[in-house]
Amino acid sequence: MTKDKSKRLSDWEKKFTKEVKIETSQEFFHETDEGININPLYTQEDLLDYTFNDINTLPGEWPYTRGPKASMYTNRPWTVRQYAGFSTAEESNKFYKKNLEAGQMGLSVAFDLPTHRGYDSDDELVMGDVGKAGVAIDSVEDMKILFDGIPLDKMSVSMTMNGAVLPVLAAFIVAGEEQGLDKKVLSGTIQNDILKEFMVRNTYIYPPEPSMRLVADIIEYTAREMPKFNSISISGYHMQEAGANNVQELAFTLADGMEYVRAALSKGLAVDDFAPRLSFFFAIGTDFFMEIAKLRAARTLWAKIMKDFGATNEKSLTLRTHCQTSGVSLTEKDPYNNIVRTSYEALSAVLGGTQSLHTNSFDEAIALPTEFSSRIARNTQLILQNETGVTNTVDPLAGSYFVEKLTEDMCSAAWKIIEEVEELGGMTKAVAAGMPKLSIEESATKKQAKIDSGKQVVVGVNKFKNPKEPKIDVLVIDNEKVREDQIIKITNLKKNRNPKDLEDCLSRITDMAKNNSGNLLALSIEAIRARATVGEVSKALEDAFGRHYATNVGVSGVYGKFFEKDAKFMDIQNKINNFEKENGRRPRVLIVKMGQDGHDRGAKIVATSFADLGFDIDMGPLFQSPKDVAKDAIENDVHAIGVSTLAAGHKTLVPELMKSLKEIDKNNKITVFVGGVIPEQDYQFLYDNNVSAIFGPGTSILDSAEEVIKLISKKD
Amino acid sequence: MQDLKNRIIAGERAAIAKAITIVESSREEDIALSHELISELIKSPGHAIRVGFSGPPGVGKSTFIEAFGSYIVNKDFKLGVLAIDPSSNFTGGSILGDKTRMSEISKNENTFIRSTPSRGSLGGIAVGTREAAIILDAAGYDYIFIETVGVGQSEITAANLVDIFTLIVGPGSGDELQGIKKGITEYADMFIVNKYDGDLATQASKTASDYKSALSFYSKNSDDIETQVVLVSSIENKGMDEVLDTFDKIVEFNKANNRFKARRESQLAYWLEEEVRNKILLRLSKEQGIPELIESEVQSIISGKTGFYSASKNIIDTFLGKK
Repeated sequence: MTKDKSKRLSDWEKKFTKEVKIETSQEFFHETDEGININPLYTQEDLLDYTFNDINTLPGEWPYTRGPKASMYTNRPWTVRQYAGFSTAEESNKFYKKNLEAGQMGLSVAFDLPTHRGYDSDDELVMGDVGKAGVAIDSVEDMKILFDGIPLDKMSVSMTMNGAVLPVLAAFIVAGEEQGLDKKVLSGTIQNDILKEFMVRNTYIYPPEPSMRLVADIIEYTAREMPKFNSISISGYHMQEAGANNVQELAFTLADGMEYVRAALSKGLAVDDFAPRLSFFFAIGTDFFMEIAKLRAARTLWAKIMKDFGATNEKSLTLRTHCQTSGVSLTEKDPYNNIVRTSYEALSAVLGGTQSLHTNSFDEAIALPTEFSSRIARNTQLILQNETGVTNTVDPLAGSYFVEKLTEDMCSAAWKIIEEVEELGGMTKAVAAGMPKLSIEESATKKQAKIDSGKQVVVGVNKFKNPKEPKIDVLVIDNEKVREDQIIKITNLKKNRNPKDLEDCLSRITDMAKNNSGNLLALSIEAIRARATVGEVSKALEDAFGRHYATNVGVSGVYGKFFEKDAKFMDIQNKINNFEKENGRRPRVLIVKMGQDGHDRGAKIVATSFADLGFDIDMGPLFQSPKDVAKDAIENDVHAIGVSTLAAGHKTLVPELMKSLKEIDKNNKITVFVGGVIPEQDYQFLYDNNVSAIFGPGTSILDSAEEVIKLISKKD
Repeated sequence: MQDLKNRIIAGERAAIAKAITIVESSREEDIALSHELISELIKSPGHAIRVGFSGPPGVGKSTFIEAFGSYIVNKDFKLGVLAIDPSSNFTGGSILGDKTRMSEISKNENTFIRSTPSRGSLGGIAVGTREAAIILDAAGYDYIFIETVGVGQSEITAANLVDIFTLIVGPGSGDELQGIKKGITEYADMFIVNKYDGDLATQASKTASDYKSALSFYSKNSDDIETQVVLVSSIENKGMDEVLDTFDKIVEFNKANNRFKARRESQLAYWLEEEVRNKILLRLSKEQGIPELIESEVQSIISGKTGFYSASKNIIDTFLGKK
């Protein structure tokens, strides 16, 4: 530093400390959730001595920090790819066509939970979930309807599918085939990222090892047969949604990527044969610069990782990613604020250099998006592309002292975690040991505690509340009707197929799965062509692999730490202690998820923080039926059941639960409360079904705990 | 009370659950009710075999109970599980997560699964576990599994609750082997070596033979059956039949040698002693003047006015009214 510069810097510091009335500017460092220090000022001095980030490089040039391509949006803007799907294939098809006309450029299919978990719509187990959080696909016939009038050789299709990945991808390929298309021309992406399912999203079917084989089979098959199709979308999105901070999301996602590369190599493929078809998927939350730095860091690190794997093809070295704005940052309170949040997040993704983007609709904290809210979400991107000028310059933030330094900080923090994972023997082993899951849960609990304690502001939720909450319209799915329609279609399908061919295909699948040789996607295509259902193919695999059940251990003590000597926290603890004195035991609450929805961040946070407050918490396993929950609740004589619901299944599942409780004990006094994504229109319905309290997204844990203790004190 | 008793004997799920709450409760009126209820239920004993499963955390106890329990209920037996969950929180609450590893058996009509936080009570056995087993027995369950975490002295307490006491161990580094001292083999009827699958299969099988040879060095009483070692995989459902056969073998042997009944009788003595000891301690802490006396004696010892042992004698004598 020259003398002049150094003097100017110390002058600045003097002015700064005087203005904010502190001793040194160091006191003004802001520590992020990731543990990265953010300084109040960055200067040229911060551009020195980097290990990972080389600020002198150009877009489309090693290590691709500035973008995978030289031209980026100046040539072609990112793809507006909105994730959607609901109800039946017919309904979703209509919706897709409308969106394409309105300016959307790619499709992204959301499947319903039964499809994810490999159950047909007529399966008793999945009654409440059919057609709810996505479209119900039971066979190739549904898939054909879904893409009716949409030419699959021209439209790139992204499919979020991980558990039932074989039959669904097979159905897509056969649907193309029956549109008269060779599979070589199909373009798009299948998520096929099973590792993160075991960490956070929980829509797996089989245990980790055979699941990894399915991933490898798909990479192998598409590398040989479908040159335009991305065989996997390595996803950090769901980690951030489950509460991971940005460094965790980045590190675990890249570590997952490394594991998939190894799986593919074990199939005998050369790295450059498949690596160009690996794609990524990140979440973009509200921490504006951090998100930009994350995408730049991701590209930098991936280039290094792939080089170490011996890749030489430029396409293997470049990380290409889809991004989606954060769902968990959306609030139920004052929901129009979500439009603003989503806009900033979208800008972040674009400045970070994403290849495609989904912007959330403002009502998604409450329900599935309506036509109106979807239009605003899509226009958020169209305005960015057409009005703001952000597409005119490649990587416009390059050279920013702050952004470059943050990019480097992200790289080194993430690299540390990647090295830890590698020491455990890679991601499959780390996942089996529960390491990523626990650290994400800890981060999620901290985040919740920060919001509940007011240390982190959420506008309209814990500060600047709207005294007059607006009412908004939401989309309602007639779940019964969808299920009936699907059952009719399944029945027809089963009537018009050759049972002998089918049996033959299915038993060959089971055999091949057992023998650990051959390609299961090739065989699944045959089965789907012979009109096997998604459920039947899944079952044939299950016969060989078994079904995976996760254990459910959580963190403890993390939430309570944020509330030492907090008056409200201690008041609730006192109430609980009094309850124990009066009742001879602590208040006992069963926290459950019902149906096929595996998003358990909310349930886990409630469980750990309630336990920190002094409740005894029973954690139910995932994927319980209302009947299982009722038995569990009665046997453990709980005071209350807390139902966490995020996938719109509550209207079917909660009344079922009430009925089952009555069947076992008609005089039971169990208090039932519900939390999660519940449109206000459903509140009365739930109250009419004897639900005692409803806690929407953004409810403070302390408020809900206080309410629960009040409700059960009345009864006991 | 009579109504509750009848409903329990009829096997009514909600009644069993309420009764267990009562025997676990710290509320005065519940304690009185509990005594009355248990005295009544003992008059209508069932035929349950009580089996204890102990072992270090992480060894897969719940996962084994899930696999073995499924095997048992598929044979039409009724199964009760009392899981003592060690997870207790610093603020006093707890997360009972054992059941997440028992998702299959917990939905079965023929099971009753109850978790209880141990709250750090003696030997990892919760207050009321013995009574809960009596309730499930009266309700007609064929097997009652009691799952505890094995730490320190807990094996002795847990072993005194059951007809068959098993220790679940993992493919070992050999550390556990050093734990096989005479003490434990006297209590354990059986070692179950878990995780006989995948990468660990060879190691598990070696561990099992290590246990067998180690056990052969410790001879039990000549009229006792030798300690059994069984190799299982909860994931692959291997060895479940052998575990059940071994249970039958132990029970048959003990019955034939009159050990079965004798064991239950000696357990009764153990628990009576426990009860007396606990009640005396409780009385001691509540008796007029005693806590104050203890406090003043402590001060006397510190200031050198009284000796440690004479202080102790003084407190006991005062309590017993000898002074």
